Amino acid sequence: MKVIEIRISQDLCKGCFLCVWACPYKVIDVGKERNYRGVNVPIVAKLEECRACRLCEYRCPDFAIQIITDKDVELLREAEQIELRWQRRVELVEEMEVSE
Amino acid sequence: MRRLDFAHYLAKKYMRTEMLPHAFCPGCGIGIIQRAVLMAFEELGEEEWNRTVFVSGIGCSGWTPTYFRRDAIHALHGRALPLATGIKLARPDLNVVVFMGDGDSMAIGGNHLIHAARRNIGITSIVVNNMIYSLTGGQLAPTTPMYSYTNTSPYGNIEPNFDLIELMKASGATYLARWTTWHFIQLKNSVKKAIKHKGFSVIEVISQCPTYTGRYILRKPDPRDYMQWMKDNSVLFDVAKKMDKKELEGKIVVGEFLDRDDRPEFSELYWSLIKKKEVEA
Amino acid sequence: MSGKGERKLVIGYDALTDAAIMAGCRFFAGYPITPATEIAEEMARKLPKVGGIFIQMEDEMASLMAAIGASLSGLKAMTATSGPGFSLMQEAIGFAAITETPVVIVDAQRVGPSTGMVTMPAQGDVIQARFGSHGDYSIIAIAPSSVQDIFEHTVMAFNYSELYRTPVILLLDEILVHLREPAVIPDKMEVVERMKPSVPPEEFIPYGGEIQREMPSVGDGYNLLIESVLHDEIGRRIGTDSIKGSRMIKRLWNKIEGNVEKIAKEEFFMMDDADIAIVAYGSPFRSAIKAAKIARSMGIRVGVVKLITLWPFHDSMIRRVSEQVKAFVVPEMNMGKMAREVKRAAGEKRVISVPKLGGSLHTPEDILSAVKEVA
Repeated sequence: MKVIEIRISQDLCKGCFLCVWACPYKVIDVGKERNYRGVNVPIVAKLEECRACRLCEYRCPDFAIQIITDKDVELLREAEQIELRWQRRVELVEEMEVSE
Repeated sequence: MRRLDFAHYLAKKYMRTEMLPHAFCPGCGIGIIQRAVLMAFEELGEEEWNRTVFVSGIGCSGWTPTYFRRDAIHALHGRALPLATGIKLARPDLNVVVFMGDGDSMAIGGNHLIHAARRNIGITSIVVNNMIYSLTGGQLAPTTPMYSYTNTSPYGNIEPNFDLIELMKASGATYLARWTTWHFIQLKNSVKKAIKHKGFSVIEVISQCPTYTGRYILRKPDPRDYMQWMKDNSVLFDVAKKMDKKELEGKIVVGEFLDRDDRPEFSELYWSLIKKKEVEA
Repeated sequence: MSGKGERKLVIGYDALTDAAIMAGCRFFAGYPITPATEIAEEMARKLPKVGGIFIQMEDEMASLMAAIGASLSGLKAMTATSGPGFSLMQEAIGFAAITETPVVIVDAQRVGPSTGMVTMPAQGDVIQARFGSHGDYSIIAIAPSSVQDIFEHTVMAFNYSELYRTPVILLLDEILVHLREPAVIPDKMEVVERMKPSVPPEEFIPYGGEIQREMPSVGDGYNLLIESVLHDEIGRRIGTDSIKGSRMIKRLWNKIEGNVEKIAKEEFFMMDDADIAIVAYGSPFRSAIKAAKIARSMGIRVGVVKLITLWPFHDSMIRRVSEQVKAFVVPEMNMGKMAREVKRAAGEKRVISVPKLGGSLHTPEDILSAVKEVA
């Protein structure tokens, strides 16, 4: 099982650094860049050390980090389909608002 | 329409991503509880997810199920359990999961909590215990440790607190567990068991509130220190039985306290009674 | 109770429970309180026979919340209480109003305030029925005056709650709940059923338009977000947007207040040539009719307006009547509550309130003396 990448969302991360604290292999570290909230977003420091134990995922309260292995690529694609289906309702409401 | 740059696949699959990022503070334990519940459903399967309804009270914990892409009812403060009782009686085939805070369930909702347990109605309650009233800004709750300073106890809290597990044991609940947000895997497994369990199940989750409990009571405003505190101060139920009272001072006893199946579940009992009356009438 | 189509002696709570079951009510949650206890007892006996659910909850707030939960799950639901319980239920009434949940609440009024005179009738809750909960919302309230009325108006209450997606309050008093008199219980009545959604879940807007008649039940895959905070068309909270918030509040208000002409019901007796109008509702209507007949025999041209729906108040009807008559007489078993509404709508014309307190009903002479005063 190969870890392809570790994706961290700039929109969702609130900079609590529980993932940095949780990682036993020091894969993630506090970054220097700030996101739109003004917090330092964690960055991937040592991708090769990652064994996909997923402790960072379990500790993240914001669903902002995911370890992507080949299995996860498939899971993400399926989840994306479901997400797109339900966007319709939000779009309908926004159309209604614009027309008012 | 604003789209997020990325979200975990559980969020894409099970949550209303148009409402993310959620309104909880950075490092709040409620986000971790949401993940535990969603992972539990991911492992239980689509059929269980499809017949689940969420109800919640008012408070920080009350916003928990409004982010899930499933029927969610954000009811009144303390009155989530009677509403859930009405749903379970009308549709006994549904899984009803109720999220309540510590003040919501034990203060204003205390009466409804003990009656729901007495009836043993098939509801899974997840009580988010952060030992304070967080949404209103840090007032004391029935679970606040004694002598601590909060906004409504500026000279120290002189009210002793509840032990929810003992309360529920005496009222007749049939599945009881207490975990902290640090015990993630055990929490997820307890949620799975509680959803499958037929009677009234209560899972008390000691969750971190870095903004109020962290700053006022524990002096640990960083969620990392708070979680370390929860890890260092939890004792498993079996181990705690052998320890004496002095050692247990200030510790959080975690584990599965009760799992009994000798009491009938209320909606099942009611519907079997009706069938008998319909035949007689 | 049998007697489909024949004239029989029926008692108030019997007619109410039979009408509720005929209207499709299959859930009752209640708490014992005088004088509404018999309603709960009858529902406990009758509902299981038709496959419905009865539960006695731990208090009145839990009763109404359980009824709301059952209504959201697809069953028609009802609860019954009296003054003290009605005060407890106000928060939940506001919850039913903002979530647009159909539910029927029976208030068998007793003398208040507080525990009051437990077994004696009054009409003191009529303003609380409209304005009891906090905030701006609108509600329908119906007041029957006889056992026949109780039957027909209970079915009407259920129909209105489905048509307008609102809680409906049925205002009785202790006399009517325990009154035994002849009535004709019909075989069947027109019942409005809940509308199922016509579009797939991804396109369903739960609170769209002026009134959303289509109401899926929870657990059916529509992913409803039913909020007690002020919410937009799909249930997301509005937060601090004042423009959107005021729009949603106006929508809730106009849903009923804007449809007064369709909702409000009243009956006229001897009003064609009247120049004094007695406006009555509930038990005092019975004395008012007798007083009007006596007055007519004395040559005074009196008519009676029987209010069936108390709320939304039919301003335009009172205004029309005020152009014809010179005065209104409003007998009530309270200090003059609907009289204030009549006075507001009657413009320049005189409105005499005839209160009767302490649990006694108006005699025809009480009302007649007020009529003679303005004749």
